[in-house]
Amino acid sequence: MHSTILQIEHLTKVYPDGTRALDDVSFEVARGEFLVIIGLSGSGKSTLLRCINRLIEPTRGTIAFRGHNVVVAPRHELREIRREIGMVFQQFNLVRRASVLTNVLTGRLGYVPPSWALANYFPPSLVDRAFANLQRVGIPDKAYARADTLSGGQQQRVGIARALMQDPALILADEPVASLDPAMSHSVLRYLEELNRTDGITVICSLHFLSLARRYGTRILALKAGRIVFDGLPAEIDERRFKAIYGDDAVEVEIS
Amino acid sequence: MPARPGPSVPSEAVVSEHARGSGAPPGGTARGTPGGPAGAAASAPDVVRLKRGVVWYRSWRLYAGAAVALAVYVYGWQVTQIRLGELWRGAYLIAPFASALASPDVLVRDNPTVRVAAPFYYGGESPPAAAAAPGPVLRLSRSSGAIGDRITATGQGFPPDRSGMLWWENQIGQRQQLMAVRTDRGGRFGAAFTAPEVQGTHNLVSAEIVAGTGPLRLSPTFFVVLNRMVETVFLALMGTTMGVLFAVPCSFLGAKNLTGHIPGGPAVYALTRTVFNVTRSIEALVLAIIFTVWVGLGPFAGVLALGVHSIASLGKLYSEAIESIDTGPIEAIVATGASTLQVVRYGVVPQIVPQFIAFTIYRWDINVRFSTVIGFVGGGGIGFVLQQYINLLQWRQAATALWMIAIVVAAMDYASAVVRERVV
Ligand SMILES: Nc1ncnc2c1ncn2[C@@H]1O[C@H](COP(=O)(O)OP(=O)(O)OP(=O)(O)O)[C@@H](O)[C@H]1O
Ligand SMILES: [Mg+2]
Repeated sequence: MHSTILQIEHLTKVYPDGTRALDDVSFEVARGEFLVIIGLSGSGKSTLLRCINRLIEPTRGTIAFRGHNVVVAPRHELREIRREIGMVFQQFNLVRRASVLTNVLTGRLGYVPPSWALANYFPPSLVDRAFANLQRVGIPDKAYARADTLSGGQQQRVGIARALMQDPALILADEPVASLDPAMSHSVLRYLEELNRTDGITVICSLHFLSLARRYGTRILALKAGRIVFDGLPAEIDERRFKAIYGDDAVEVEIS
Repeated sequence: MPARPGPSVPSEAVVSEHARGSGAPPGGTARGTPGGPAGAAASAPDVVRLKRGVVWYRSWRLYAGAAVALAVYVYGWQVTQIRLGELWRGAYLIAPFASALASPDVLVRDNPTVRVAAPFYYGGESPPAAAAAPGPVLRLSRSSGAIGDRITATGQGFPPDRSGMLWWENQIGQRQQLMAVRTDRGGRFGAAFTAPEVQGTHNLVSAEIVAGTGPLRLSPTFFVVLNRMVETVFLALMGTTMGVLFAVPCSFLGAKNLTGHIPGGPAVYALTRTVFNVTRSIEALVLAIIFTVWVGLGPFAGVLALGVHSIASLGKLYSEAIESIDTGPIEAIVATGASTLQVVRYGVVPQIVPQFIAFTIYRWDINVRFSTVIGFVGGGGIGFVLQQYINLLQWRQAATALWMIAIVVAAMDYASAVVRERVV
């Protein structure tokens, strides 16, 4: 289980306005890890996650996903890489007017012929799978509801079901619980944990609360101003390291 | 705890500058406030200024403002020639219309009538003697004479207790009413009248007595109006369709989030929006006049006017719908490895199509209403007949047209509201 699924070297992102959001970031992720990325707001967590599937174009560096260099992949290859990387968003990013089922099915678009989109066609086998995935995240009864009628926690579970449709080897989760209450946060993170443990899906998840990071992460990577300031096991984050990551005035708060 | 020292320094500088800047004005005003306790003014100048502010009736601005407003409205009253007395003096002119509204020309009765005629010749000639026939008879006191003669007409054998009309018909069949008559219990009537001034010599006097009550049927006016209403609705349909067909592609050029990224895009955006705004600012009625000059009177000019106006206003609304698109879902679908076509189908279309439909129905609604008046300038539709009826003082017919407009527009209004609610 120690094969590398993702290898990032010297990754740098400079936004057009000159903001250096990532500064020479290098790390590897092994298959099956639950890697939590922490850091202050603006430290570059989202930028890092979005560079991995190239929703953001990196400025410099290489990203190797299962041996493919994401950074230079041409369009069709990029699509093949993307379809194996599920993504879960803080704002869920569901198509609000569409049904839950349709939202889940869109997770499979990378695998089906694009022309099917014209007829809004998905084969019955995929519809069955969408139902199975909704079952898995505990909301099979919501399949035909409009996505925006669901609560935040339910919407995020739809987001996970959508990612599951991709048969992903890797799930990127950008603050997946930042818009949810503590109970809901645990519920959503437990689904991710379950996918990580039983399906062996590698998870890279950015979180705001260190307590959550400690509880769910198998490894923690901390960013500060676009640089890695900590990379290790959750237990290794002591008072001194905490202050190095979050600043001297910070106090750790618990989310129960 | 700023992560980067760089940006934090200017932001602090801004804060302190602001504090200095906002400190100055209260000091200045506090000095200007008369009679304020010095201690209170120094500690809380803002509060003092508010409490001790000039009372409203002492503010010269109030009086200046009131004077200006008065002048504006006095001039407005004169320039628009408001004479409220006319409402009262002219009431009798419009009264027939008010009563016509209550009795529009929609239904008519085909009552069976009994008609009998007797000749009356001008110019010395005498008509041939009529053969005696069974049934009702109309007799005139004389059968020849001159204009202005007094004539007595008697009838007998008509249905009893019925009313009818006495007509004068000239040589070429033009007729005019002489007077209303009513038969007695024996089926007789008598009436005296003056021979009217008409062209020709061989006249007929005829009596038409209503013999019973016939079935109700829709009036010819109703069918004329209905025909024009159908034309009106289709005028709106064609105009709206033309608007949609051109506005959809144009709206993509007028959306900042789409044109912002391509070279030359901002110029295209600015041009599109300017064309939309300028076109929209020309009233469709003005456009209709222009198009009647171009393609001639008739509904086609109306279609073009509505179409052009719809392109502009729909284009603007569509563009704004595209601009307000949520990029989150699109990003999410891109991240699944979807192709551009799939992203458009599943990320863009569900976000804009319902809005497009809602705006289109809204526009169609406006266009139906508008196409009812476009006939006033020759653009076809029901407005054309409505104007004619009003000009000819045919109030009951005008009322029919007005009721038709009211009912159809209200129905369209309701239907579009229902559809819009479903879509959005
Ligand atoms: N599109 C952009 N253009 C310019 N600068 C950007 C852009 N997006 C992010 N940044 C900047 O890049 C830096 C890193 O942003 P990023 O969103 O990755 O941080 P984050 O760790 O995800 O923060 P948060 O916890 O608030 O989500 C920030 O300073 C941010 O202001
Ligand atoms: Mg972020």
